[in-house]
Amino acid sequence: MAADKGCDINSLNIQNVNIDNYRQLVQLYLNLHIYQAALFWADKVVALTNGNPKDVYCLAQCMYMLKEYHRAAHLLRSRNLEKKFVLCNYLTVKCLMEAHDLNEALKVLNMLDVDVLLQNTSVAASLESSLFDNTPKHKIQSSVLLLKGQILEAMDNRSLAVECYKQALHCDVYSYEAFNALIKHHMLTASEEEKLLNSLDGAISEQCDPLEKQVLLTLYKSKLKKYHTPSPKIIRDISLSCGTTKMDSKSLLSKNENPDTSISENGTGKDVKVNKWLLQVQESIDMAVSEAERLYYNCEYQNCSKLSEKILKQDPYHNECLPIYISCQVELKHSNKLFTLAHTLVDLYPSLAIAWFAVGCYYYTIGKSDLARRFLSKATTLDRLYGPAWLAFGHSFATENEHDQAMAAYFKASQLMKGCHLPLLYIGLECGITNNNRLAEEFFQQAQAIAPYDPFVMHEMGVIAFHNNEYTKAEQYFKNALCKTQSVNGSILPAQWEPLLNNLGHTYRKLRRYEEALEYHHKALTLSPLSASTFSAIAYVNALMGKTEDAVHWFHKALGLRMDDTFSTTMLSYLIEHLSEEQAPYPGAPNFIPNFSATVAKEAGSENCIMIEEEMVAVPEISEQEQLTDMSLEIDMSSNNQT
Amino acid sequence: MEISSRNYDVRSIKLDLLKGIRECSQRGLYHSVKWLSELNFSISKITIIEEVPIDYFNCGDELENYLLAKSYFDLKEYDRCAFFTENCCSPKSQFLNFYSRYLAIEKRKLDNMTDVNCPPDPTKNSALRDLAAELKEKYTNKRLDGYCLYLYGVILKKLDLNSLAIDVFVEAVNVEPLHWGAWQELAFLVPNKHKLNSLLLPDHWIKLFFLAHAYLEQLNNEEALQLYYNLHSQGFEKSTYIMAQMAIAYHNRRELDKAITTFKDLLALDPFRLDNLDTYSNLLYVKEMTTELADLAHKAVDIDKYRVETCCVIGNYYSLRSEHAKAVLYFQRALKLNPQYLSAWTLMGHEYMEMKNTNAAIQSYRQAIEVNRRDYRAWYGLGQTYEILKMPFYCIYYYKQAQQMRPNDSRMIIALGETYEKLEKFENALKCYYKACSVGDIEGMALIKLAKLYDKLNEHDNAAAAYTEYCLKEAEQQRTSYEDKNEYYMALQYLANYHLEKGQLEDASTCAYKCLEHDETKEQGKALLKAIAAKRGKQEMEPVPMDETGNISNISVDSSVSNMDMVFSPNT
Repeated sequence: MAADKGCDINSLNIQNVNIDNYRQLVQLYLNLHIYQAALFWADKVVALTNGNPKDVYCLAQCMYMLKEYHRAAHLLRSRNLEKKFVLCNYLTVKCLMEAHDLNEALKVLNMLDVDVLLQNTSVAASLESSLFDNTPKHKIQSSVLLLKGQILEAMDNRSLAVECYKQALHCDVYSYEAFNALIKHHMLTASEEEKLLNSLDGAISEQCDPLEKQVLLTLYKSKLKKYHTPSPKIIRDISLSCGTTKMDSKSLLSKNENPDTSISENGTGKDVKVNKWLLQVQESIDMAVSEAERLYYNCEYQNCSKLSEKILKQDPYHNECLPIYISCQVELKHSNKLFTLAHTLVDLYPSLAIAWFAVGCYYYTIGKSDLARRFLSKATTLDRLYGPAWLAFGHSFATENEHDQAMAAYFKASQLMKGCHLPLLYIGLECGITNNNRLAEEFFQQAQAIAPYDPFVMHEMGVIAFHNNEYTKAEQYFKNALCKTQSVNGSILPAQWEPLLNNLGHTYRKLRRYEEALEYHHKALTLSPLSASTFSAIAYVNALMGKTEDAVHWFHKALGLRMDDTFSTTMLSYLIEHLSEEQAPYPGAPNFIPNFSATVAKEAGSENCIMIEEEMVAVPEISEQEQLTDMSLEIDMSSNNQT
Repeated sequence: MEISSRNYDVRSIKLDLLKGIRECSQRGLYHSVKWLSELNFSISKITIIEEVPIDYFNCGDELENYLLAKSYFDLKEYDRCAFFTENCCSPKSQFLNFYSRYLAIEKRKLDNMTDVNCPPDPTKNSALRDLAAELKEKYTNKRLDGYCLYLYGVILKKLDLNSLAIDVFVEAVNVEPLHWGAWQELAFLVPNKHKLNSLLLPDHWIKLFFLAHAYLEQLNNEEALQLYYNLHSQGFEKSTYIMAQMAIAYHNRRELDKAITTFKDLLALDPFRLDNLDTYSNLLYVKEMTTELADLAHKAVDIDKYRVETCCVIGNYYSLRSEHAKAVLYFQRALKLNPQYLSAWTLMGHEYMEMKNTNAAIQSYRQAIEVNRRDYRAWYGLGQTYEILKMPFYCIYYYKQAQQMRPNDSRMIIALGETYEKLEKFENALKCYYKACSVGDIEGMALIKLAKLYDKLNEHDNAAAAYTEYCLKEAEQQRTSYEDKNEYYMALQYLANYHLEKGQLEDASTCAYKCLEHDETKEQGKALLKAIAAKRGKQEMEPVPMDETGNISNISVDSSVSNMDMVFSPNT
């Protein structure tokens, strides 16, 4: 909108006042989004002024707004304006890009060296200033670089695009779009993102005052990757304000979460101001989305679902919240919610990848992989850079045990999301399932290189070590993963970590540390109760410890839940046979063959073993007192009948 | 028990009861209310004026929310109740929230159950797990009150985390001792007396009831009865609950008549009571009192057709009339009403056994054990089914479980012995039979089996002793069936042989003579008599070798007389 502010100054020109009125009219209609009218009057202005570049630019803008990209580009290029004016060049390129003429766009963009134009005020300074004096130069420069990045990215020239985005961000640290472009497609690894922010430090200090610097850094940091390592929710008590960070699960979710602790550790007075500001920003939906994302990656699906539902209530089509919400519903298997959401999205945005992604996810959740793939591939054709769709595509193959195809999809995803370790992790998993441990390990190592602190990766490394019979190594990996997760969640682990605990149990069993093995299996049971495999694992450890009876008990439990478990069935038969061999016929049975005495039978109803022994002592006398015993027997019998 | 000797002031108990009734009914814990009220009723002659607190519901600003939610709860609209209490902070509303959510989950599970034979898959309970996770978080932060603790324990128990559940219930009863439901669940979970004594329980009069209940659960009938007698004499003589519990204890002790009388008294006091009637019908079934059982069944149907106890009574009735398919139908109905209903599972297993449907029987018994591991009848039934399936090792395991539950019940141990015999582990089998004899043989089979095994293991003296004992018993009982008679005369034949070998000719001849009474052993008897005669002839030629043998022969003469007496006396 640089042009409209230039209006009154330009009115010094030869034209009469009427033209200025028309110009204002054009601006008014543009602001009111009545583009046809704006176009009409802009055209007249151009005719009146005989093609004043500024007015032509304005006309082109109207055309751009009307999505008549070719027309706008032609208009600008036919007058060679794109070679003279930065803004015209910018608009031309933008139009060409929108028209999917990427090569041409790049060519036009390269025709004009923006740096030179902007720096060298002498050459076209007079005309330049008339167009741009209200727009800061570094913003223009940044926009041009951003545009270049976008074109390069669309041309699949990812690395150059990244460079452009970075430059754009350096030129204008407020350019969220450049920042987002860097972040959203997982182009950078977590550490690279960190580095980027650090390198921006200088630029930020230049462009804004210290207070704003903090705000900006905080906001950006909230956008950084969250899944490479489970991040704790750090809640700052704003009212206390002076830097005591504490874990506190009592506070409500959306209140004051902020991954950045550095601020509160600084000064005090200024801090309060910043905090106040931040506290209000927290209320912004964007920050809530960040929190939802964090919850999602920490496996707190219930909470995440609640929060994202709240967000979507305020802003039903929040672009960044939707993928989180969808993934969350997939995890929770709420197919009904997915169904409704997918329907509304497809009705509203049939041209957006997210809509079809939702449809694909719905079919994935209800187990129809074929349909899921069809819609996911539709999503990927709409937006080739849409990584999540590729991952889901891979998952749909993986659930059907189509490991090769799944891997292909994951590979595609990993190419698209260079900075994301998840595709690599999945590829490794698939390799592991197909018994290719060596390859799997390589992929896990790559994943670990990207995300060294992700407990999921550590866990998988542990599994590989376990399969390679390196149990101490496996233990180390599992332990590390456990430490990492516990450092975040405290004592309450999400149920998703049950395999980790069980694997620790298995490892300890292999290491013959049975007590610890049992401990971890029982812990796993508290996370995910009624699990047949955990039951049989506990049974197995018990069997190895020689507690055959306990083992039989647990195997029974396992088989009660899963009848067709061959391992448990075999083990149980073996153990039961063993048990009947080794155990006394009943608890407290004598080791010898007891001698019979008539009085044994007489002691009906007596519970005392000692009594029986006394009877045995009396054996020799029996034959002499037979008559007597008979009598007593009679009495006993009768009393027995009574009871 | 030192606690049992202490006297509690009945007035303060009454005050407690009133408070408990109020608290529990406001939370929708109706079973506890019922129990407390029954107890309260039994001491109704004591009158006290209880000041009702001004703030009756004690929910602060959330009274409207609470009242609304409670009305939905009472109408069984659980989800609605949960929704309107979602953000409430008062403990009552919060409890209603959790409780209604739990009940909603359970109700849904029950409604979705299509077939009784396949109860809802226990692994498909993500909703319950989520609820458990939520409560767990609150539990670790120590933000659950006594009632919520109880609920958490119930859910843990549902998820088969019993040891955790015990801890939670102990906490619950410590916080809210007046909530009987928590005590009851705890009694159900505590596996043995040792564990029971290790629990840290509050010193409260209700503990006595709990201990008695727990002892009864553990089949520790004597101590339970003792406690109940004490309570009975301390002012609770009118309590129907105590009467029912005592009847169950009698039932467990196989004092059937006493139990039946107690139940009759109970029904006279409280004619429309259905609780525990399943046990009563079991008693009538065992005693084969068809008319009484029919009467009971009709009455129960009249009172409430759709109660598990009613279904169980009817099932027992049909079973007694050998209409097993119909019986199964009623047990299934009971299970449809409550899949956790123990008696129906076990009894259904029995019916399936009668119908020779082994697989279904195994399923039922297993379910019964899932519900309650202490159900010895189910363990025994499992043993029987595996016997039919010819899997003796499993058989041994199951019988052994049953035997451990009831160490003094000869049926289990004889079954165990028979299985050992099948596996040709004669020593073990012998020990089992021996034990069976020593604890009192109900079916009278142990002795002969024991004798045979002694013989098999070449313990002839013992065998003879056992056979003698057996013959003595048999002669009195006068069995009529052919098999029994056969058994008896074979025993006599063995004894004749034995005595012959030992040179105790008088004994031998007595036995041999008796053998002549029976067709099968007639020939053998004759042959034996001849052999005895021959030996006697030989013996007379020889001088008496030693004093000892002389002694023996003297005695044997005596004993033979007595034997004769004994054999013939019943006939006269």
